[in-house]
Amino acid sequence: MAAFDPQGHALAGANSQGGGMDRTPLRILYVEDDARSAAAVSELAEQSGDVIVWEEQGSGALLRAGMEAFDVIILDRMLDDIDGLTITKRLRESGIGTPILILSALGRSADRTDGLDAGADDYMAKPFEPEELMARLRALHRRSQGREHSAVIIYGAFECHLKARTAFRDNRHLALSPKEFELFRYFMENAGETVTREMLLRDVWKMDFDPQTNVVDVNIGRLRRKLEEGFDAPALETIWGSGYRILDGR
Amino acid sequence: MLALWFVTHQTVLSTLNEGAESEVDVDIAGLVDIYATSGQGELERRIADRIALTPSEGSTPHYLLADNAGNVIAGDIASWPGLDARVSEAGVIAIGDQSEAFARAVQLGPDLRLLVARRIDGNDAVLRNVTLAFAFAGTFFVVLVALLGRLAALKLQRRIGQINSAFRDPEAESELEQRIEGDEIDELASHSAKALRRQRNLMEAYKETSEQLAHEMRTPLSHLDNRLLKALQSGPEAKVGERLVEARAEIKRLVQTLESLLDIASSKTRRGDAAGLEPVDLSALISRICDLYSGSAEETGHELVCDVEPGVVIDGEEHQLGRLLTNLLDNALKYVPAGGRIEVILFQGPELVIRDDGPGIAPSDRLRIFERFYRGRASMNETHGSGLGLALAQAIAERHGLSLTLDYTDRGASFRLS
Repeated sequence: MAAFDPQGHALAGANSQGGGMDRTPLRILYVEDDARSAAAVSELAEQSGDVIVWEEQGSGALLRAGMEAFDVIILDRMLDDIDGLTITKRLRESGIGTPILILSALGRSADRTDGLDAGADDYMAKPFEPEELMARLRALHRRSQGREHSAVIIYGAFECHLKARTAFRDNRHLALSPKEFELFRYFMENAGETVTREMLLRDVWKMDFDPQTNVVDVNIGRLRRKLEEGFDAPALETIWGSGYRILDGR
Repeated sequence: MLALWFVTHQTVLSTLNEGAESEVDVDIAGLVDIYATSGQGELERRIADRIALTPSEGSTPHYLLADNAGNVIAGDIASWPGLDARVSEAGVIAIGDQSEAFARAVQLGPDLRLLVARRIDGNDAVLRNVTLAFAFAGTFFVVLVALLGRLAALKLQRRIGQINSAFRDPEAESELEQRIEGDEIDELASHSAKALRRQRNLMEAYKETSEQLAHEMRTPLSHLDNRLLKALQSGPEAKVGERLVEARAEIKRLVQTLESLLDIASSKTRRGDAAGLEPVDLSALISRICDLYSGSAEETGHELVCDVEPGVVIDGEEHQLGRLLTNLLDNALKYVPAGGRIEVILFQGPELVIRDDGPGIAPSDRLRIFERFYRGRASMNETHGSGLGLALAQAIAERHGLSLTLDYTDRGASFRLS
């Protein structure tokens, strides 16, 4: 009997399969008072080759974030001493602009708004999709580095011309609708990374809530057909239960 | 004030005149006595003496001794005024150009008459002083009363303002508790403070409970999910793997149900509360959602028609309004059979209509569809859905001061947000 492979690839292999998107490991400050959550995230970071520095207390985190350089900070909200929102505000007030992702059990839309208003760059609720956490951390880091894409993004066989708003695969023009182009462009900008439904909803449709039905999957399905029509190799890979990733199309 | 001045003025005037009158009468009596006992010569001498003498107190006296024809025999008054000596007439006469005097005339002999006068000019000065005093004091009091009135009004305004501002921002600590005057406004303030404190305590208790609930549920679910994920990563058999994926989806639904319940409660507690609302471009939001759902509708064989009037803006929470619409669209896509038509119409009002030509809502279900966990008979065999979608949609509508109703239609269901 065939073994069930939910993700089509091993977690640790994310780099090797990504088509040459080699990246320097991230140095992440993780502030979390729940040891089990901390262990789980640390393991996750290890698998992707990133470095986690764990702080149990808010006060310690404030000290550390002020003294050491981190690529991104993950903050829990309900800490024993100082809550995550206050830490975020203090860091921002003291001029520390390191991207902050709040990872919290408070997951209602109002809580998200509070977090982003306090100065956090992203907000995720527990339970979370590990792939999505890592993808978002990398996206935050990329954004903070100001690594903007040029007029043309090329990934494997795919080309995305941002100004002309046209898409090509193996030099063949792909007839995409405006929304499909936006989706394609998002995948191209995040080539090599898992793109989750939440990311698509938030960044492509500008909606910070998750409809309970499979509307996103349907839209991806349509894009996939356009990208794969007349080609043999698959264009998009489904990461079970978490999201999608664009392939190099070869 | 003016009346008071007039009364005072008249009283002072008559008192002063009475003084002059009695002085004149006493003087006349003395002089008549001298004339009777010592004759005209002595009288003339005495008159001259008195004119020469300046009195240390009282007003300066003036005299005139004349015959009936008005020829001056003695005295310092130039001519006989129009006073009849035969009836001892008294009155105010002019002395010189400017002075006034109270005078009385008496007939001493057949061809001799005497006039004694006392100047009452000093009275004018006294009266002027009275008037001045009244003018100053009057102005002072009028200004004082005006100032006090203004102060009292300002104080009242400030106290009412405190109550108002406490209600405007019910979350902030207010200072309504202090009693200032012990009057009705203090009582109102104290009632308001109590009501606000009660409300604040309830909100805090609610927030605390929901946060704890969320935390205590989500954290263990997160660990559970993590274990399922680990099991998935260990390469289980296909069937086991599918079950694991289903179990993870179940965890997600559980979390969503919890969230919906908390959101309903939170929306209900903040019904009609404008705090935290910001202008939302409803037209843009609905267009984006229609765009998101158009693919789904096409896949499921539905015709999704969106008729959105641009520029409809309301004060609201964008993500909540979005959930309201997606809940209604999810329902429509779920219950309307393939080939059906779903319309989303937005126009100024604001009014939003989502209608379809599906099986509609059974009359027996009409009243209950907005209840929590109620599912119509048509969906009893459905395992998906929390049964909270419409309850949440209605709570969100109410939080925005809007109402979500089900229209009476011949076919299909038509929800109206207005």
